[in-house]
This record gives sequence, C-alpha cells and structure tokens, in this order.
Amino acid sequence: MPTTKTAEQRMTRRRRIRWGSNITAIVFAIVWIFPVYWMLNTAFKPSDEVMSATPRFWPSRLDAANFVAALAQTSFLQDLRNSAIVVFGTLIIAIALGMFASAALTRFHFRGRKFILVVILAVQMLPATALLIPQFLVFNKVGLTGTYIGLILAYVASVLPFSIWVMRGFFLAIPVELEEAAAIDGAGTWRILFSVLFPLVTPGVIASSIFAFIAAWNDYLTAYVFMSDSKMYTLPLWLASFTTPNGGTDYGAQMAASVVFSLPVVAFFLFIQRNLVAGISAGAVKG
Amino acid sequence: MTATTVAKAAGGSSPRRPGRGVPAILLSPAGLVIAALTLVPIGYLFFASFTDYDKTTLFTGVFHFVGFQQYASVLSSSEFWAALVRTVLFTAAMVAGSVVIGMGVSQLMLRLGPVLRYIVTIVLIVAWAMPNVATSKVWVWLFQPGYGVVPWLITKLHVFGDVTQHDFTNSFWGALTIIWALVVWQAVPFIALTLYAAQTQIDQGMIEAARIDGASEWRVYFSITLPFLRPTLGLMTILSIIWDFNVINQIILVAGVQVLRPIATLGVWSYLTAFQSSDVGTGAAIAVITMILLLAITSVYIRNLLKSGEEF
Repeated sequence: MPTTKTAEQRMTRRRRIRWGSNITAIVFAIVWIFPVYWMLNTAFKPSDEVMSATPRFWPSRLDAANFVAALAQTSFLQDLRNSAIVVFGTLIIAIALGMFASAALTRFHFRGRKFILVVILAVQMLPATALLIPQFLVFNKVGLTGTYIGLILAYVASVLPFSIWVMRGFFLAIPVELEEAAAIDGAGTWRILFSVLFPLVTPGVIASSIFAFIAAWNDYLTAYVFMSDSKMYTLPLWLASFTTPNGGTDYGAQMAASVVFSLPVVAFFLFIQRNLVAGISAGAVKG
Repeated sequence: MTATTVAKAAGGSSPRRPGRGVPAILLSPAGLVIAALTLVPIGYLFFASFTDYDKTTLFTGVFHFVGFQQYASVLSSSEFWAALVRTVLFTAAMVAGSVVIGMGVSQLMLRLGPVLRYIVTIVLIVAWAMPNVATSKVWVWLFQPGYGVVPWLITKLHVFGDVTQHDFTNSFWGALTIIWALVVWQAVPFIALTLYAAQTQIDQGMIEAARIDGASEWRVYFSITLPFLRPTLGLMTILSIIWDFNVINQIILVAGVQVLRPIATLGVWSYLTAFQSSDVGTGAAIAVITMILLLAITSVYIRNLLKSGEEF
C-alpha cells in the first residue's frame, strides 16, 4: 500500500528533523549562554586562575575572593545606596503619575486624548542624546546636575511615558460594568477611581514598576554625564570604572561585580516571565 | 503589547463621560512632568543647535546665535556623512542579524520537546535580561588580548592562526564585529520569544494538511508561517531599527580609545561632540539631525499602530 509507505517515510523524516532540531537547540543554548557562563566561571575562580594563557573552563575550587575584592574593597555600598535612592525615587514618582495619567487616558472621553497618546508614543522613541544634551544644559543651569533629584527627574522623564503605556493596557482590561455597578451603589468618580480601579490595576503597577526599576538600575549614560562627584556614582558607573587600588583592571573582581549587578535584573525578568503572563490572563478571565 | 492585546480580547471597555474636570486633574501632574522634562528640553535642543554653545558657555553662560552655521558645518563635513553611512549600515546589519536569527530560533523552539524548549527559553531570558553595562564588560573580557577565551578558541580552530595576542576591541573591524555580536546576542531573545508566541497561534491543522499534501518544510514555512507572521515581523523590525539606531552604551564601553571615533555612529558622535569635546552647539545640531531621521522611521511605526485598529 503506497499510502502507508509514504506515511512511514514521513515519520522517519519527522524523526530525523526532531534529532536535527534537538542538536541545533543544544548547540544554540551553549553558544548563547556562553558569555554568562564565562562571567560566572571567572567570578568564582581563585584570583590566580583568572589570568591564565590557557583558559580554565572550570574553577579548581569555588572561591569568593573576587566577590570580596569587588564588594568590600570598593565603594560598592556607597554606590548601592546611591542607586537605591535614585531607583526608588524614580519608581515612586513615575508610577504614581503614570497611574493617574493612564486612568485619565483610558476611563474618560475628552478632546485631545488621541493626540496625547501619540505624543507619549513618539517621546519614547527620541534618541538618547537628543534628550541628554538639552536636559544636561537645562539641569546644569538650574543646579540639578550632580544631585539625586536631578538624576531622578531625568529617569522619570524616560520612564513615565512607558509606564503610562504599560498601565493603559491593564486599565483597558477592567470591564466598564464594574464602574457602572459602583456608580449605581452611589460611588462618585474619585471613589470609583480609588476603591475600584486603582486596586484592580495592581498587576499593571507591578509590571511597570519592574520596567521602571530595570531602566533606572541599568542606566549608564545619564548618570555618567550628570554625576561628577564620585561619591554620588550609581552602580553602573561603579561597574564601568572598575579598577583595582593598584590601577589595573581586576577582571576577576569585575566579573564578580557584573554578577552582583545583574542578579536583581535577571531575577526580575525570570519572575515576569512566570507570573506576569499568568497575572494578565487571570485578570482578563476574572473580568 | 501583550497587555493591550489581552485587554482587547477581554472585550475592553468604552470610556465613559467625565466627572467634570477629573481627567484634567489626573493628567496634569504627568503632563507637567513630560512637558518640563522632555518637551522643553527638546525645544532647548533646537535652540542650542543655532548657537555656538561650548565649554566656556558652561561656566560663563555666554553664547551667540550663529544661525544655521552649526548645521552647515556638520552637513559639509565628511565625518558626518561617513558616520551617517556607518550608522545606516551598522543598524541594518544588527537588525538583519537579530531578526533572521530570531526567526530561526522561534522556528526551532516549535520543534523541541518541553524540556529543551524550557532550557532554550531560560537561556534566552538570561541573555536578554543582562544589563548592557555588565554585558559590555563581559564581552571585553571575553576578547581580552592574552587571556580572553574567545581568541583562544578561535586559535584552536587553526584557521586564522594565533590571534590570542590580537587586540580586537582596538581594531576597527574587531570592535565593530564584537559590538554587532553583543547587540544581536541581546536582541534575539525578545524577537525569538515574541515570534514563537505568535507562531503557536497558527492553526496546526493547516500545517498538517499541507504536509500531507506533500509540501516540504520550507514550503510550509514560506507559504503558511511567514504570511501569518508578517504583522509581528514588521513590528519587530521597526522596533529593532529604532533600538539599534540608538545603541550607545555598548559602543562607548566596548570600543577601545583608538577606534571609538572611527566607528562612532551618529548617536555616539553627537554624544562625544557635546560631552567630550564640549562643542554643545555642534552636538545639538547632530542630535537634531539624528532625531529627524529617527522620527521618519518612528512615524511609520506609529502609523502602523494606528492602522492596526488599536483603539485610542
């Protein structure tokens, strides 16, 4: 029977494809994770194994010396504190303002709404230097460069449009019937906002907080241009200007520093992947 | 993107009539902040691009209007045109690399069992999540002359000779290649995962039917998968163009001092001019030109978004 024969051929062909795919996937995964693996490998090596002409693909023993050098012998704690101040300042301002604005842009009809949304979208796509140059000039004039609040405001400017855009989706997912029910029960516009809508967009607040955190935590360029006093450096500047007390680059310590600096962001990304998608769809089903 | 899509799928909601003045009160704080921190500075950028604002101005506050002189000198310098061509080519190379590899990976993920797919997903997310200051430093270390692991591996191939002492980040093509690979490495995950999510929406019955009719895997991909992916692919491409056009950190952190200016893209060049040479006026003029170029691309993106039936 010719049909069964071709079916069999197809089966073997599919099986061959499957093997090919599996091997390709393994090779791809190894190549793609290699830089991260090499960062970890270097970070955990004993210091004398970091610089070897023949690279060692595994530390002979796990050694925390690089981490000690990176964290204890540098201005890490001070820069961590600076980063924390700037990142959380940005978060609070951007999320509060973003939540109000996206409530207005989703739950109300008014003239110019569409125009505002287009402006918000366009503002996000400005080249970094187009904003950085004039922000520096303006902030420099009013004495905001070299201050925490100046850096926070610069980050708010870059994070706020995106936060509005992200939260907008969560507001749109809330069915209008909920609002109507609250209105029938006698709740006013403000009461509806604070007791019905804002609690329901909590997943949106979490999502945009994470994005805002990552943007402010990772920024290098603005901090580099704004902060001249090394006592006020944030962690990206700490990581970029990594030198040992004796002047050279200590790659072991720098890789350990990279691990520490990347850890919260990578953790957040993995967290978003698992819970956020589920959270969004749960919200949608509930409505 | 996901959020808005889900919102629409859930039926959305029609915004209601305002309690009078409420939207204005809700909007004004954010509006003021965006106006003061973004729109006013952009206005100031245009203003500065018509002046001779430089290092001394930062201290004295004295500057003069020079009309279109900054633009004239920028547009007539060969450095500008070289940077423009370099930016366009480099962006095109990064976008092509990330989109093509991203398409391949998404296709690959469809053919994997759950375990391998999970591993590939985690690998992608980790590469995506790494802050680019950290990855820039890691990549410089990977290619470090004398001790870098990648030159050592290349040498082991016995094709290019001994390159372990080669200073890659300080050579023109070396730096460009490393930065290209670094950007593509971190850009592929977003594209691959988004395309994969889109591809799982394709009706598998249709693909199965095509296979039974004897269509090859390539034929299935080009006749069914690709047309289905076109809108997503278009969006990914435009976003990649915008992002890759704006790459600065990786370039200034990876390129060695000797090649930073020769490989500078428009963004890097305006940054160096404004902040390293302190020719703020010239830097502003370059930034305005860059912004207008990028705006032309961005408007395509926004028009597409408006056309896609996104409810405003």
